[in-house]
Amino acid sequence: MNTRQHIEELFSGYEETAALADFKEEMESNLNDRIAVLKKKGLDEQTAFSKAITELGDVSALADDLSLKRRQEVFSDMYMKTRSYIRSGRMALYVLCGAVIGFGLVVGAVAWTYSGAAHSFLGTVSVFCGAGVLGFVFLGLTQETAAREAMPWKRALWYVLSSGAALFGVFASAVTYFTDSVGLPEALATLIPFFLPGLALGVFLALTEKDRSKPWVVEFRKKAVEREMERFAGPAQQERFGLICGALWIAAVAVFVLLVLLVGIKFSWLAFVAALIAQMLVLSAFTKESGEK
Amino acid sequence: MEAKLSSDLLRGHTDTIVLGSLLKQDRYGFEIYSRILERTGEQYELKETTLYSSYKRLERDGYVSSYWGDETQGARRRYYRITEEGRRLYRQNKIDLEFTQKIINDLLKEDETE
Repeated sequence: MNTRQHIEELFSGYEETAALADFKEEMESNLNDRIAVLKKKGLDEQTAFSKAITELGDVSALADDLSLKRRQEVFSDMYMKTRSYIRSGRMALYVLCGAVIGFGLVVGAVAWTYSGAAHSFLGTVSVFCGAGVLGFVFLGLTQETAAREAMPWKRALWYVLSSGAALFGVFASAVTYFTDSVGLPEALATLIPFFLPGLALGVFLALTEKDRSKPWVVEFRKKAVEREMERFAGPAQQERFGLICGALWIAAVAVFVLLVLLVGIKFSWLAFVAALIAQMLVLSAFTKESGEK
Repeated sequence: MEAKLSSDLLRGHTDTIVLGSLLKQDRYGFEIYSRILERTGEQYELKETTLYSSYKRLERDGYVSSYWGDETQGARRRYYRITEEGRRLYRQNKIDLEFTQKIINDLLKEDETE
């Protein structure tokens, strides 16, 4: 293993900041010098490397310091001055996308009124609204927010491709359906070759997505989970609570269906309200138990 | 009885040792590290991270400044330079240490004669 790799591994859990990157570079050159000296003394490559690594000691405190600074910065950004993450250039693009969609809708409506055909509306809308929506997808994904880092634009483009294919499928099938009045099977046949690959690509992207939450969000989430754990006496308790709730909601759906059949939709929704109340009661029962311990 | 070097005692003076090694010339991390190893006959089990923490602390408090060297080949090295305040701190720490050493010596002498 080379020193660079080792250092990267040491700091893999830390957010890369300029200070940390600087420090890693400094460490690397020092470590390499040390290894060179040890080798000159007659140690072989591997022994020299592991000796130099042992001499290094524990880097976590330093890394915390170098990387935490940024965390605090972000944290204070979040709470002290709700700073705007949208620069004016991007703002203009957002507005432009909105305008394109609005324009498409208006022109489509006008076209519909004059021609009286649904497909003229659909055709206009699909071009303009499609472009606008895809623009929003791209802008939204590459947007840094208070809680999330921006996605790299290349990856965002894949998302645009995925949603573009799916959208095209939807519009094309709608146009096929209304224009040629060929019936549902043909419309579906138009839909599937575009929509499914688009969906598949989207699912693939979503599954391979990494967490872009900012450090303070990760921290916050961790704390929330911890608080959640504290509420229960232990993991087993929590699991039991989960099982009971699952059973409760399945029962609620069953009762809902039954009530729809028996008394109609007017009162059947009460089943869900009852389930919600029951869940709260169960939760309170569980919480009390753990509190007494 | 064989004398052993107390690493804990030394560690408390890391900042002063670092400042001391910068008095005559600017140095980079590895130089400072190997200098300490040499002078202690490689007896001091000093962890490099202890030194790094010291550099960061000294730099933050304005006792040293740092800059990247202009190595033409190989990795860049980060050099540390002592500031005027750093020299003042070094002198003060040295005086304090000598004073404390004297007191400790006196105290231990007293205990042995009792």
